[in-house]
Amino acid sequence: MSISCRKVSLGWRVSGFHITWWILVVSALLFDALPIPGYAEPRLPFSSKGDPNTILRIDPPVRVAEGAQDVEVPGFAEPVKPIADPLEPVNRLFFHINDKFYFWLLKPVASGYAAIFPQPVRVCVRNFFDNVATPIRAANCLLQLNLEDFGNETARFVVNSTVGLAGFFDPAKKRYNIKRQEEDFGQTLGSYGIGPAFYINWPVFGPSSLRDTIGTVGDFFLTPRTYLVEFPILVNVGLATYERVNNTSLMLGEYEDLKEAALDPYVALRDAYHQFRQEKIKER
Amino acid sequence: MKSISLWRSMVPFIVSFGVAIPVWAGEPTEQIKQTTDKMISTITDPTLKNASKSEERRKLIRAAADERFDWEEMARRSLARHWTKRTDAEKREFTSLFSDLLERTYMDKVEGYSGEKVLYEGEAVDGDYAVVGVKILTAKDTEISVEYRVRRKENGWFIYDVSIEGVSLVNNYRTQFNSIILRSSYRELVKKLAAKVAKK
Repeated sequence: MSISCRKVSLGWRVSGFHITWWILVVSALLFDALPIPGYAEPRLPFSSKGDPNTILRIDPPVRVAEGAQDVEVPGFAEPVKPIADPLEPVNRLFFHINDKFYFWLLKPVASGYAAIFPQPVRVCVRNFFDNVATPIRAANCLLQLNLEDFGNETARFVVNSTVGLAGFFDPAKKRYNIKRQEEDFGQTLGSYGIGPAFYINWPVFGPSSLRDTIGTVGDFFLTPRTYLVEFPILVNVGLATYERVNNTSLMLGEYEDLKEAALDPYVALRDAYHQFRQEKIKER
Repeated sequence: MKSISLWRSMVPFIVSFGVAIPVWAGEPTEQIKQTTDKMISTITDPTLKNASKSEERRKLIRAAADERFDWEEMARRSLARHWTKRTDAEKREFTSLFSDLLERTYMDKVEGYSGEKVLYEGEAVDGDYAVVGVKILTAKDTEISVEYRVRRKENGWFIYDVSIEGVSLVNNYRTQFNSIILRSSYRELVKKLAAKVAKK
């Protein structure tokens, strides 16, 4: 009964003047769903699967195929084909805007926040938001026909929501060694063989691709928050903003490191994002 | 039927997998571990903690890195097709600048060490090439996967690429270098590199 009730109210919201709110909610959720290496990715997530005995991949010798003079590069080089970037001038502009956004607003706020709340508290807050986002990961495990990880995510949710005190703690990992499965709809599309198409650097939200942007919008529909109709919009945007500040407070210095090591920070971030996403898709 | 034969064909694999575990820490892992341990002991050495000793400390860490990193191979792979067009002098110049940048970047990371646990997760060897998997557990409750890609030479295994969370350092620089060369020129790239290295 409650389900049909939600559907009705959803229809009500899409129609009429609430469309503005709707867009606001979408953008609010884009906030926390878009992984931005450097400054918005909630954390560098677990890469390899839980089993420590996993044999590492052995890749065949590969070529750096660039024009006529291919260079044979044997070993574990795995060159990832660079992502297309037809929007580069616009993307670069937004890169500068985001850079200022980070240094002038996000970083000072996150630093101040970090000075008030000790690290363990902020880790708990991150755990809480991660736990609430379980439906996104679980649903994408299902969409990738990954029943094992779907089971893991479900188990984590049950354990962490109860023993883990509403998700503030992560006993599922600490005690039972069930690790979070970093899955989203962008990865699901990738696992279906859909490429990233091209790079998009969104203002405020940061690095993405056409595929991952579609993925983020898809994930929005899997977020429980989306269906909490009575939730005032300001609360939604507020929560997403707070989550981002909290996550940033646990990652201060990462974006600075990337910039420090790069000769062209824009290209470095674009490539890091691309490699990171390709790896996430392959991991499964 | 098909699935049964598949399972059967996997038996030797599973068996060898089980046997392989005790000998997991092979030569590549051993050597990476040696270098890492050397660095960690230098950083945590109380006699070197003093600010006046920071120069000495840095030197020791740098020496440990020089022992394990194959800077020229990293430079070659990062320049890729542009490498073959360079003269020997250019190659030397580039390798020296690039290694300075890498060492500095790496050093900053290493110097920020604050008791993170380093776990050795296994290795894969394919002839003269190998990958060593490492997991770093941070105080922030996160795990960072690092892959050291190493190549065998006469006197040991040497790192030619480091991949952090799937992002290969060499790939990342290759994309940057290629983009800079295509937009301007190789000389311009060297100028940028020199400026970056000189900045600190």
